Amino acid sequence: MADILFTETGQRYTGVGLGLDRLCKLLAIASGISLLVMALLSLRSIVGRTFFDSALQGDYELVQMLSAIAVAMALPYANWIGGHVIVDFFTAKAPAKANALMDMVAHLLLALFSAVLAWRLGVGMVDLRGNHDASMMLNIPTWWSYAPMVPSFALLAATSLYTAAGHLRKLLS
Amino acid sequence: MTGIEWGSLMFGVMLLLLALRVHIGIAMLLTGSVGYIFVAGIDPLMSYFKTGAYARFSVYDLSVVPLFLLMGQFATHGGLSKALFQAGNAMIGHWRGGMAMAGVTACAGFGAICGSSLATAATMGQVALPEMKAHNYSGRFATAAIAAGGTLGILIPPSVPLVIYAILTEQNIAKLFLAAFVPGIIAALGYMVVIAIIARVSPADAPAGDKYTWAQRLQALVATWPVLLIFVVVIGGIYGGLFTPTEAASIGTLATAFVAWRSGGLRGRGFLECMYGTAAATGMIFLILLGADVMNVFLALTQLNVELAKWVIGLKLSPVLVLFMIIFIYLVLGCIMDSLSMILLTIPIFYPIVMGLDLFGLAPEAKAIWFGIIVLMVVEIGLITPPVGMNVFIINSMDKTVPMKDTFLFVMPFLASDLIRIVALVFMPGITLFVLKLPGV
Repeated sequence: MADILFTETGQRYTGVGLGLDRLCKLLAIASGISLLVMALLSLRSIVGRTFFDSALQGDYELVQMLSAIAVAMALPYANWIGGHVIVDFFTAKAPAKANALMDMVAHLLLALFSAVLAWRLGVGMVDLRGNHDASMMLNIPTWWSYAPMVPSFALLAATSLYTAAGHLRKLLS
Repeated sequence: MTGIEWGSLMFGVMLLLLALRVHIGIAMLLTGSVGYIFVAGIDPLMSYFKTGAYARFSVYDLSVVPLFLLMGQFATHGGLSKALFQAGNAMIGHWRGGMAMAGVTACAGFGAICGSSLATAATMGQVALPEMKAHNYSGRFATAAIAAGGTLGILIPPSVPLVIYAILTEQNIAKLFLAAFVPGIIAALGYMVVIAIIARVSPADAPAGDKYTWAQRLQALVATWPVLLIFVVVIGGIYGGLFTPTEAASIGTLATAFVAWRSGGLRGRGFLECMYGTAAATGMIFLILLGADVMNVFLALTQLNVELAKWVIGLKLSPVLVLFMIIFIYLVLGCIMDSLSMILLTIPIFYPIVMGLDLFGLAPEAKAIWFGIIVLMVVEIGLITPPVGMNVFIINSMDKTVPMKDTFLFVMPFLASDLIRIVALVFMPGITLFVLKLPGV
């Protein structure tokens, strides 16, 4: 399966890069902790219904919300370490500058789409807040789950722009 | 232009973008969006984007994916791979090629608590390669055996690609996991046969290891109890209907976290590494999922996949021939793409075709499960085929003395056993499906 093992690039950043590096790592940790909370909730639900006949009400809803948050917060880090998958079979032997150009365009596209998604999710969040949309069982406002997703997609856009700029420098050097 | 023409055009554009190094998720998102705009207009797309990402990321059944990834990270940090290898080595290490066989069985055991091949191969490589080297195994043989063994990480449930297949085709995850089990064991046995043959043909590559006493063996076996316990609770709980896959993965995650904590694997940077590793793999998978979602909405609008399926079925070719053509396409794609992208890209197209064919008179559900297992096996081969077999890359990088082509050369016999197994699974669906007919399932 596609997955990533060597997650730390060991690269040292300064200025904007350092800020992005810290934000990505912060969100990655928050993502993992959301998953741990999700696991603990499931455990509480299982123990409750097995031994005490009191299942955790609305555990599905909480799992869904935490899952959405955890996934969104993982996206910028994956991009930051160059983890999003590309097919490099056809361009493996191309000149470095040609690849830098293509990688720059690819990251600009990624930036564009994550920015559009951040914007649309933001609009969606305001809509949901306006019409007081909430979950069935626990009555948790739906927009709460959107709140961490909007900055996550915005950070994904920012990291893609930063990477694109790096490729541009390579191209001009 | 008709919907079908739009669909075909955008699919071609997407393949072109992929070749030009655009991220797979974004290539699907881009072409899906553009196609969507032409077929339905921009306003529906913009309103879809308001909720689409949340809708995709909050699917209850998908929440099992990041949990399995986190569980795999904790398992990697918990020293379980070492215990598994030592148990296998104590039992059969003294056979000719026995240490490589121990590596393969340990991979199978680790695969039972980890849903990822690369993680399985990497963690087992770190444990097994130095030991095999110390016992005069050749680097080319040792690296090839562990690279192939690593694919068991996915073949043996839990398996992330199988979860994705289940969601795409609306099949039962528990049944798919159960069906994957016997073919996974057959895969491990096949690899052991390959090792035995190589050890006979070329004894210098695979000598015999040390012999252990029964007391030592017992001790080594007992040390693997956390793996057995976690596996029984997680997989047994899913089959027994005690809990949902997400709940089972939750328990598995907490249990492996406990093991990793007890073994000291979470000290220092250990915990952070688990968090980062999970985020990297989760982000990678879900960006592709997000793109595939938009692409699939667009394909559904154009009816491209339905029409293509009708056309292929209308050709009245031999169904088995069509199936082998699909398998062949997967093998070719596997040389250039990762397994998950392949599944997300092709299942919406191939699945309706296969479901429309009469294959050995299988009922729809049985056929869907059987096809899922075949797809899983075929896409996993991509991990050990040149030029970009990721497992081979990872393991080969651990032994600097072995040229890449030597590892690939010794992977070939393992590949041959994969192909033989796939042909057997195609012609004997019963191998995969008989477990589903057992009483109590």
